[in-house]
Amino acid sequence: MKKSVFDPMLLTAIREVWSDLTLWECHQCGQCSAVCPSLSHGGIRIREIIERVMLGAINVEKEDAIWSCMMCQSCTERCQLDVNPSFIVTLVRNLASERGHIPKHYLEEARLFIRTGLSFPKTGLTKKMRSEMKLDDIDIDQKTMDEVKFIVNRTRLGRLGL
Amino acid sequence: MSRTFYLFRGCLIPTRLPFLERSSIFVLDKMKVHYEPLPGATCCVEPIGLRSLAVDTWLVAAARLLSIAEENDRDILTLCNGCLMSLKEAKHALKSQKIRDRVNEVLAGIGRRYTGKTEIIHLVDLIAKRRTALDELVVKRGTGMRVAIHPGCHLVRPTKLTSYDQSYYTRALSEIASSLGAEVVAEEDWPNCCGGGVSNVNEVLSSKVLDELIDEFATAGANCILTPCPFCFVQFDLRQKRGMPVLYFSEFLALALGASSEEIGLRYHKTKVVV
Repeated sequence: MKKSVFDPMLLTAIREVWSDLTLWECHQCGQCSAVCPSLSHGGIRIREIIERVMLGAINVEKEDAIWSCMMCQSCTERCQLDVNPSFIVTLVRNLASERGHIPKHYLEEARLFIRTGLSFPKTGLTKKMRSEMKLDDIDIDQKTMDEVKFIVNRTRLGRLGL
Repeated sequence: MSRTFYLFRGCLIPTRLPFLERSSIFVLDKMKVHYEPLPGATCCVEPIGLRSLAVDTWLVAAARLLSIAEENDRDILTLCNGCLMSLKEAKHALKSQKIRDRVNEVLAGIGRRYTGKTEIIHLVDLIAKRRTALDELVVKRGTGMRVAIHPGCHLVRPTKLTSYDQSYYTRALSEIASSLGAEVVAEEDWPNCCGGGVSNVNEVLSSKVLDELIDEFATAGANCILTPCPFCFVQFDLRQKRGMPVLYFSEFLALALGASSEEIGLRYHKTKVVV
């Protein structure tokens, strides 16, 4: 495991995103890794990520493994000490996003949410299927969109400069 | 006891899988569940990608949806495991007074306030509670289906937040499927991931997880997959190579309650379903 400290301020930065952490309870028992479907197929090594977060041994601008978590919550369910590993990954991803390391798909999803209030696009096929199935047009009214914009501008998503 | 629910449709179902909305509505109407669409609905915020970019945006957007339901004293009924997890986790986080105050500070700017009154329930749990009513309405039993049950991660985990006592060996879906005459041939003791969470980021990893799962179902002799999650549905219907048909929970119910495959749009499945 790479133990060299890369970012001594990593934990501080994470606590600025979310102050209520129980990370230090981690005993490195490895139950999280034992149930991780990503790890068993060569994805994220979750126990190691938790340790490296504590050590500041992650370069969030380059660490691709954090985007290989499927957020299945198996680790969080299994953890005896309520460390909530999958949420720690979410927080590290928040920092990575702030520093520009965002997978293209999520970047597009975020832009779509800002523009339309939804995370999936309404396409011609959407319209066709909905009318064939006799369903409404799922129009989002202007007031709702104004509220979305307000929330985005007042929170982290608005500060990512997307 | 006929409280009206706010039906929260999410994003994926109304935009890409409207036929799942149709079958859900069919089932709700048949079972005389009162519902209205949640007014002012937006994305929940999607808990895998979007929340990973900005947790506070997720929290405030989710609190906004919950506050709308609170205002009219309604509970939220969801059709999507992702929405369920997103809203439930938000509700849990908002138990902290410090977090709630910060969120309400933003919500005040749009004239809203979160208090924590509203409950969130998934269609599976609603039906599980009304099994007797369901049994009385069934018109088609024993369809020759040999189903593999796939609850999806976020229906059952984390148990701290869901309505399940344990996240392993959960039987709600299997019991409903069996009572409608399907033969349950595969169950997941520790509900498996379908690989959907990385399907747009790491396709290789995603297919490995998916293929392994389908192989297990096939080995068990399944001829159909049953899932209550639209994200898992997309994985099975669009990205799976073996060609095993998948039914979303409400489609399975609607067929048993007498819907024709035409009216609930089974033709829109990419992996064809023959019933």
